Amino acid sequence: MRALAASVEEVFREAAARWTLLAYFALSSLFILLFALAVNLDIVDGALAGARLFGKTVEIGDRAIDMDRLVLGFESGFSGFLYLVGTFLALFATAHLVPRFQEKGTIDLYLSRPVGRVRLLLSRYAGGLLLAAANLVYLIGSMWAIVAWKTRVVHPRFLLSGAVILFSFAALSAFAFLVGVVTSSTGVSLMATYALFFLGAILAAHDRIAAAVSTETSARIVQGLYWIFPKTAELGQAAVALVAGREAPDRLASFNGLGVFGSTAAFAAAALALASWLFSRKDF
Amino acid sequence: MALPVEAQGLRKVYGSRFGGRSVAALDGLDLSVQPGEVFGLLGPNGAGKTTTVKILLGLARPTSGSARLFGLPSSDPESRRRVGYLPEGHRFPGYLTARQTLSIFGRMSGLDRATLGRRVPQLLERVRLSEWSDVRVKKFSKGMTQRLGLAAALVHEPEVLLLDEPTDGVDPVGRREIRDLLQEEAGRGRAILLNSHLLSEVERICGRVAVLRSGRVAAQGRVEDLTAAGTRYRLVASGVDDRLLAAFRETGASIERVQGHFELTARDLDHVNALVDRLRAAGAKLEELSPVRSSLEDVFVGLVRGDEPVRANAA
Repeated sequence: MRALAASVEEVFREAAARWTLLAYFALSSLFILLFALAVNLDIVDGALAGARLFGKTVEIGDRAIDMDRLVLGFESGFSGFLYLVGTFLALFATAHLVPRFQEKGTIDLYLSRPVGRVRLLLSRYAGGLLLAAANLVYLIGSMWAIVAWKTRVVHPRFLLSGAVILFSFAALSAFAFLVGVVTSSTGVSLMATYALFFLGAILAAHDRIAAAVSTETSARIVQGLYWIFPKTAELGQAAVALVAGREAPDRLASFNGLGVFGSTAAFAAAALALASWLFSRKDF
Repeated sequence: MALPVEAQGLRKVYGSRFGGRSVAALDGLDLSVQPGEVFGLLGPNGAGKTTTVKILLGLARPTSGSARLFGLPSSDPESRRRVGYLPEGHRFPGYLTARQTLSIFGRMSGLDRATLGRRVPQLLERVRLSEWSDVRVKKFSKGMTQRLGLAAALVHEPEVLLLDEPTDGVDPVGRREIRDLLQEEAGRGRAILLNSHLLSEVERICGRVAVLRSGRVAAQGRVEDLTAAGTRYRLVASGVDDRLLAAFRETGASIERVQGHFELTARDLDHVNALVDRLRAAGAKLEELSPVRSSLEDVFVGLVRGDEPVRANAA
C-alpha cells in the first residue's frame, strides 16, 4: 500500500512539476470564469424574464421560460461538449505516464524496488485516473455551482456527466498505456488513442457502414470492430442522456446501456491486462 | 545459509527483432558474493557486466541458468527487499527534491513515513547533500546526482548493494568519500557487488573480482592472487652485453632493456636461477633481481586481449 501511495503521489508531483496539472486546471478555470462572467440571467418567479450573454441582451420575447427546463437543456447539452473536452484534456495530461517511466536510467530505479511490475504499472494507471478525476470534480463541480448560483436551480444529475467522462477516459487511457508499454513514445500513445476515439465514433454508424460495404465478410468485420472498440460516440450520447433523465429525447435515450458500457469496460480490461502482461515480460 | 548474491550458469541471448543474428551477452556465468564482501565485476564494454546485474535484479530475464538474491529467485519482487541498487547513468525524476526522492523510493521499499523522517536527513548528511535537500534534482551536478543515487540505494538499509559505476563523473575527493562509504558499509557486513571501469579503485576496494570476457568469466579470485608475482623480474646488472642477451633468449627467456634495467621473463624459478648462473659465468655483476607484481590493469588488459590464460577461480 505504501508503494502504491508513493507511486500515485509521484504521478501528481510529476504532473505539477511539468505544468500539466497547472495547465489542466488553468484551462478549466478559464472555462469556468468565462461562463460565470458571460451569462447574466434575470429570473422572476422561477421564470426567465431576461438574459444577457457577454453583455448583450438576449431577445426572449414575451414568453415566460421555465428555468428548470432551461437549466436541464443547457446542462445536458453542455455535458456532451464537456465529454469531448474533458476526455481529450485528460488523455493529453496523462499520455506520458508510461513512456517517461520506461526511459533508460529511470525504469531501473523503480523496478529494483520490491514491488511487482504489474502493481507498479497499475499504480501509475490509478494515479492517472485520480488526476483526471480531480480535474473533473473541479471543472464539473464548479460549472454546476455557478449554474445553481445564477439560476437558483439545483440539478445534481449534471454531476453524472463527470462519471461518464471518467469512464471513457479510463477505457482510452488503458489503451494509451498499452501503446506506451509497446512503443515507449508519448506522441505515438496520444495519436493512437485519439485515432481510437474517432474510429469508435465512426463505428457508431456500423449498421449503415455494414449495409454499404460490398461483401458479407466486410460487413461482419465492421460489426465485429464495433463490438470490440470503445463506443466513444454512444458514451457522449450517454453523458447527455443521463443528465437529461426523463427529458432526454428518444434518439438519445435509446442506446443500449449495458452493451455500450459493458463492451467498453471489456475493451479497457483487455487493454490493461495486455499492457500488464507485456510490461511484466519486458527486458530493460 | 543463502548467499546474498548467487548466479549459476547464467546465459542471456538477445535476439534480433526481425529475425537477424542473435547475440549472447552472457554465456554460462557463475558467481557468488559472500556477506561483508566487496566483489568487483570487471570487463570491457559489452562483456556482460550490466546484463548480469540486470538479471540479478529481475530487470532482464535470463535465457537459461538461475540468479538468486538471499536464496530467492530474481523474478520474485521480494528478493529485492534487502537490495540497494545504483544503476549506471541513472536519472531520478528531475522535478523531485533530494528529500522527496528518498522519501518516494524509501516508501517503495516498504518504509513508513516516521522511519523515513529520521533516516532521510541522516543519509543526506552522510552523502553531503543536507544543504541541497530541498532543491530539485535537475539542478544537481553529476557528482551530486551520483551521491543521491547512493543515498537512495541505502535508504532502506539493504544487506546487499549492487553498484554500477558508482564513481562515474565524481571528482577525486568525491570518489574518495564514496570509497570510504562503501568500505564502511562492507564493514557493517553488507555484501557489495561493484561494476566499474576504474581498475585502480576496484583494486583498492574489492576483496575478490571476476573479469568477464564475451559473457564468460575469464578470471575470478582474490585481487592479490590475480596480481601475484609470476615469472617477470626486474634485473639490474653491469657488464651485460648483446651476446649474453642473445644467449638468454636462446634458452626461451625474454629480456628487454628498459630505462637502466632489464625486464626478464622466465619459465619458472629454476630457469631464473640457471640464467643468473650464466650471467655470473659471463663475468657480469648482479646488482638487483626482484619479482614484478602485475597491477590489476595488467591482468585485465592481458585477459581482455587474450594474452593471459583464463584463470577462473584463482582463489
